[in-house]
Amino acid sequence: MYQSSIVLLMYLSALSLVAAEDLKQSEQQRIEVIRRISPAVVCVMDAAGAGGGSGVLISADGYAISNFHVTSGSASFLKCGLNDGRVYDAVLVGIDPTGDVSLIRLLGRSDFPFATAGNSDNVRAGDQCLALGNPFLLASDFSPTVTWGIVSGTRRYQYPSGTFLEYTDCIQIDASINPGNSGGPLFDIQGRWIGINGRASFEKRGRVNSGAAYAISVNQVLHFVDHLKCGLIVDHGRLDFTVESDEQFNVVVQQVSELSEAYRRGLRSGAVLESFAGRRLTSANDFQNVVGIYPEGTRLPLVWRDRTGQHTATVRLGPLHAFQKTPELPQERRPEGHPENDSQQPEQPSPELLKLFTAREGFCNYYFNDAATQQLLTPMLQRLADVTPDMAWKITVSSADEATALQGEIAVTRNTVGLRLNDQSWLQNTETPKLQDEPPTFPGFLLAVNHLHRLLRKDKPAFDELTAAGRTVHQPSGRALRILLARTGARSTRWYFSDDQPLPVALDLEPEAATDEIRLIFDDWKMWSGLLFPERLGIVDPTTEQVSWLRITAASAQQEQNK
Amino acid sequence: MKICRRRMLQLTGSLPFWPAVVPALASQTPPKDTQTVVVKLFGAGLGSLDSYGTGVLVSAEGHVLTVASHLVSTGFLTAVTADGRRFTAETVATEPSMDAALLKLKTEPADQFPCIDLKTAVEPAVGTPVLAWSNMFRVAAGNEPVSVVHGVIAASVSLDAVQGKWKFPLKSHVWLIDAITNNSGAAGGLLTDSDGQPVGLIGREIRHATSGTWVNYAVPLKTLQPAVEAMLKGQRLTPAAPTTVAEPLLSARDLTGRFGLTLIPAVLERTPAWIDSVVPGTAAAQAGFRRGDLIVLVGDAVITSESDARRRLAEYRAGQKAAITVSRDEQLLELSLLVPAATTTGR
Repeated sequence: MYQSSIVLLMYLSALSLVAAEDLKQSEQQRIEVIRRISPAVVCVMDAAGAGGGSGVLISADGYAISNFHVTSGSASFLKCGLNDGRVYDAVLVGIDPTGDVSLIRLLGRSDFPFATAGNSDNVRAGDQCLALGNPFLLASDFSPTVTWGIVSGTRRYQYPSGTFLEYTDCIQIDASINPGNSGGPLFDIQGRWIGINGRASFEKRGRVNSGAAYAISVNQVLHFVDHLKCGLIVDHGRLDFTVESDEQFNVVVQQVSELSEAYRRGLRSGAVLESFAGRRLTSANDFQNVVGIYPEGTRLPLVWRDRTGQHTATVRLGPLHAFQKTPELPQERRPEGHPENDSQQPEQPSPELLKLFTAREGFCNYYFNDAATQQLLTPMLQRLADVTPDMAWKITVSSADEATALQGEIAVTRNTVGLRLNDQSWLQNTETPKLQDEPPTFPGFLLAVNHLHRLLRKDKPAFDELTAAGRTVHQPSGRALRILLARTGARSTRWYFSDDQPLPVALDLEPEAATDEIRLIFDDWKMWSGLLFPERLGIVDPTTEQVSWLRITAASAQQEQNK
Repeated sequence: MKICRRRMLQLTGSLPFWPAVVPALASQTPPKDTQTVVVKLFGAGLGSLDSYGTGVLVSAEGHVLTVASHLVSTGFLTAVTADGRRFTAETVATEPSMDAALLKLKTEPADQFPCIDLKTAVEPAVGTPVLAWSNMFRVAAGNEPVSVVHGVIAASVSLDAVQGKWKFPLKSHVWLIDAITNNSGAAGGLLTDSDGQPVGLIGREIRHATSGTWVNYAVPLKTLQPAVEAMLKGQRLTPAAPTTVAEPLLSARDLTGRFGLTLIPAVLERTPAWIDSVVPGTAAAQAGFRRGDLIVLVGDAVITSESDARRRLAEYRAGQKAAITVSRDEQLLELSLLVPAATTTGR
């Protein structure tokens, strides 16, 4: 007893300066915060209720985030424990293997407690933080273990090191992180969710806390969460050029693929990148960090400078890995406690649970994709109920800008699109994949109108495959919009939908490989005679990002003559 | 003050230790300037010997203090300052008894660097919250800020440690830290208090000779200061140099004669301050001391040994009241001892 008194008292000398009231108050606040955030922390187990890691609920309908390397050890069904002591059935919804994130959905309640996200860009080294989770699978009643620490560094980059798991822009903490903490939430001291604890520097001391652990930033997770909700295997992005840091902290462009969008915008070897996605760059790591926090397909602004001055453009991230199925992790990265010869047999999933999973090549869980796709299509088809079926379109247009004084007509049938502007005209056969006769100022415009014609079919859109693909910030509008990918052959159209109306607000289409996308904006949808068509049609200039508007003055649809 | 301290004793008595330290740190974010005096070192490594380490700028001309590790002995060192600039670093001198090495960055004559002033190094008490700044695990590259880890000074000890199978030769006193500060690449990093005042030089990854546990330690910068000054002058520190300032110590006889208090004799190096007997009618008896009490605090100072108690009591002058906390029957009591005048008959 004397010995322990001594140890206890050693701590007291540090305290003598701290007013007792402050101490009590701050302690009470911390206890209160932990009490408030604990119910949202999930103990993630496999279907047999064994093994596991951690997770965090993010909405009342049961969506929870964990690590990919935690759920990859389980099949599509899981068991999840909460600190109410109950075990809930859960289903795997979507995965982001590169970012080491997975989305699961817990079932059985519509009022799940959930964490509220903070802004991880505001996190600073020295901030206090709380890591909650299930280290060493200690809590048999599922009340999470809490560890406290400080943020040791921000915007850290951790190499894939032998796998595809790449931690970009992550938060380094000194709170204890041990096996089983993976997938669990990191909170700031106010209890705002700021990250997902997933990785630590383990070296000589074995796979236990070393004082250097890494959390995926919540801002990165939020860029992916709507993609994950669509049941996808979400990919990260890449750009088709390489960079290097130089001695003056410039990020210097090395090689640029001549087929890339950046090349077409004028980016060349030797240019200095100033910012990407709004973040100033001073090193190649900075650049890597920004690229890594966005899903494939995101269009982002790039600013660079070269001999001729400063330039701005937007570029779309291409696919990084393009996984067609769930990739395998090397043995040492698999979660603890998933023995191959586990004697426990998972119970048979209930019929209700089985309904929530559909296997399909290229998807994590197609059930959720189908549901999200129908959510986009159903309101649109309802809106199309009054249009003329199997229609041919005739649309009269004029330029919204009086100065250019364009007058013309668009004529659309199932297989052709014609455009006449003043005394010039173009006719595109849309059955061949090649661009034949397109207006040189907006190549691909006729093809894009054809795709609109395919989308607005009364019965159902005429594409090979329709896939809801999350949400992104649309350029140049800056709005966060839902995405519907419509694939025909190898070509995909990207349709953007807002939450407040059933018809698309924009379209991006790459008419041919390695050419600029045609990007249209649809404004003020209106029912014309037998035809739903916007009152204004915007065309985005790929170089300036300026929108040229066409005003629709008349539009009609009529039954197409059968051939 | 008295009430305040009592409350804290009750508070911490009923709780784990760590939450108590939180507010001390909470009021401060790490001092930003500290980042600028820490440099990342890169050199030759092999196997479990890392090719990277940490150093601390100790002069405006670009002298860097680090540990005398393989990085220093193999040479070819590159130092990256906090602003991301890269310099070749040359070894000026090493001081093996303190496991210290002094490097000099190859700079332009006009280059000036932010640095710590070793003279301002503080010797915080055991229990003080500290921050450890280092290039651990090479997490930070270029101009990225080094990692910062929080902890508490857990003890002040002399090391009995091994590196691999070799006895670790460090002779100086070190601080043990209750956090994992001594990671790969952290050696040579800076330990500060929570205000950023320099405290220690983070040591290597070594294990305790007996238990095999990893030791997280830092060498006090105050102890290193004479060695660094000698190295800056191009001299070696004379081996016998460790100067211990003789602190006044109350003799055991004085304690009995004047105070009426006899402690259990120092049979071990750190014999706890247990009261062996109290002379009736003396100041000690009036204050309420009893045989078997363990002195744990004199004033606000933690008492870890019998000699500690005599050292602290020597600081009081006659007529002052010393607040002494003892542990009795598993309870903490604060007693007030009126310090008697020096006896003329004593010796």
